[in-house]
Amino acid sequence: MILDSMCQANRSDDNMRNAHAMGKQMLKIENLHVRVAGKEILKGLTLDVGAGQVHAIMGPNGAGKSTLGNVLAGREGYEITRGSVEYDGANLLDLTPEQRAAAGVFLAFQYPVEIPGVNNTYFLRTALNAQRKQRGEAELDSMQFLKLVREKLRVLHISDELLHRAVNAGFSGGEKKRNEIFQMALLEPRLAILDETDSGLDIDAMKLVADGVNHMRDPGRAFVVITHYQRLLDYIVPDFVHVMVDGRIVESGDKTLALKLEEHGYAWIAERKILDNVHAGAA
Amino acid sequence: MDAQALDAILGSTPGERAESWHFSRNAVRALAQQNFVSVDPSLTPSADVVRALDLPLTRGRRIVFVNGVYSALHSDDAQLGKTPGLRVRHDSANRIELIVSAPVTQPLHLVYLSIPGEVPGFWAARCVIRLQDGAQLDLVEQHLGTTGAEIFGRVDCDFAIAAQARMRVSCLSDLADNVSLLRALHCNVGAQAAFETTQAHCGGRLQRIESTIGLAAQQACLRERGVFALRGRQHVDIHLDVRHRARDTSSDVDWRGVADQRARGILHGAIVVAQGADGTDAKLQNKNLLLSAHAEIDAQPILEIYADEVKAAHGATVGQLDERALFYLRSRGIGMMPARAMLIDAFCREIYAHVADEGLRGLFAALLSRHLLLSTQVAS
Repeated sequence: MILDSMCQANRSDDNMRNAHAMGKQMLKIENLHVRVAGKEILKGLTLDVGAGQVHAIMGPNGAGKSTLGNVLAGREGYEITRGSVEYDGANLLDLTPEQRAAAGVFLAFQYPVEIPGVNNTYFLRTALNAQRKQRGEAELDSMQFLKLVREKLRVLHISDELLHRAVNAGFSGGEKKRNEIFQMALLEPRLAILDETDSGLDIDAMKLVADGVNHMRDPGRAFVVITHYQRLLDYIVPDFVHVMVDGRIVESGDKTLALKLEEHGYAWIAERKILDNVHAGAA
Repeated sequence: MDAQALDAILGSTPGERAESWHFSRNAVRALAQQNFVSVDPSLTPSADVVRALDLPLTRGRRIVFVNGVYSALHSDDAQLGKTPGLRVRHDSANRIELIVSAPVTQPLHLVYLSIPGEVPGFWAARCVIRLQDGAQLDLVEQHLGTTGAEIFGRVDCDFAIAAQARMRVSCLSDLADNVSLLRALHCNVGAQAAFETTQAHCGGRLQRIESTIGLAAQQACLRERGVFALRGRQHVDIHLDVRHRARDTSSDVDWRGVADQRARGILHGAIVVAQGADGTDAKLQNKNLLLSAHAEIDAQPILEIYADEVKAAHGATVGQLDERALFYLRSRGIGMMPARAMLIDAFCREIYAHVADEGLRGLFAALLSRHLLLSTQVAS
């Protein structure tokens, strides 16, 4: 039932509906606590993402940024001890990873997995058709699929060479990230989470990633962009920037927050928090 | 069956049975509890089984043994007799000899059928293949066994590949759970000659695939790719012995095993480099996948080197499906069971991906997916 209602929402590409959807709440994370291997990583994270918005999440190493991405995609081994995650008004945590994908959730992996022996085209077609089947849509035959693939490759300026290889096997770091963006373009998710997709990329590859995201920006679609550095945000201009430290969002603002962080570093946030506490104490 | 009778059908001495059959001793013990009698020679395969033997790649060039006895009815004698460079000889009903004097351009199909009768049955056959200097032969060797009473078949293969000759064998076994098979190969590879095998073994109560391959003259070469896929209580014992006996010989072996439920697989791979066999290049790789906590695979790579200048590498791994890969596929919308099937299929596929003929490649794929129930997993 939950999946059905989410799929219904995902099915429509109607611009009118999307325009109406702009800003409508899509993802609502409340006081989320998550343990990994017995250690608490997320310690009360709260975040609201509306349709059509781009949220950047920045923070130092170990803040829990990747944990957030994995929890949203449904990876096993993450124990949710408190809090809730709603997606389109239903409990996202009840769904299996494949159900989340069919409902429109996509995670671009920080470290895309190499799968020798599985051809990339076969994998993508199986994935797309599995999602369509779960949503009650007709599966694409090979001609329809190839037409769609060519169109996406053209838009992203990606060579079709990566289609003929095994999934990520022997791909360079840049090729793996490009393949993630290509998958995102092909699967057309409604909520895309990019987990440090910019890490290890040169400036040209980063622009390609940004172009991919910008091309897909749409009133009905939301992005959560997890990054260490402000540089990516020159190309993907976010609506909101959040700073995550020690499993919590400690500061939110507009795109200028990212610039301040770049200038002052994450230590600046911690110092400001101490000052705030002092002022609060004095008052 | 007493120990003497057991050794007679296994072709072993009591000492060998203790040593080289060590990991299969329980399966052998179960076998010994059967009272095997020579199988009824009048048993014939059903029309369905015969229909399934048809391979477009080898049509018109088939040799069939039914329970160890050459079957003129199901073989293509007339056409084989006209094949240039090939001579086929039958000294007895249980033995065939192929003499290849030139490159035979189209592949042959050699089939061993186990058709059980009312009581536990035993059969034995022998296949001798001689490739003369510069000859070439491609062979599809198929072992099929149907359901019924216990049946144990034994095929002794004796191959000799002379200088600059090349032999390529695709060997597939597809056995019901009541069928046991012992395939014992002795192969001698001559100077600058090559022996290439691609194998897939599925099913059976006990399968023992024994190969002793002698790289006997300079630049003799072996390339072997093999996979076994087991479930239930199936048991496969691969016993490979590669002997580098001359200079500049090379061997490249890659075996993979998949075991589900309570199945048991064994890969014993020994490479022996004799004194004086300098310049040897030997590689043996073995990867195994356990799909259940109750399945077991024993990998036993052995390297014995008595020469000075040798390149030799061997490695064996036993593991489970990669959880990261599984999550990656699921995160893209592919369900748990189809994602598992995709990964298992990919693991096996690397063994036969090089097979040029699409029909033959399809035969490998269908055999493995049927035995691992992959197609039903993909459909679900």
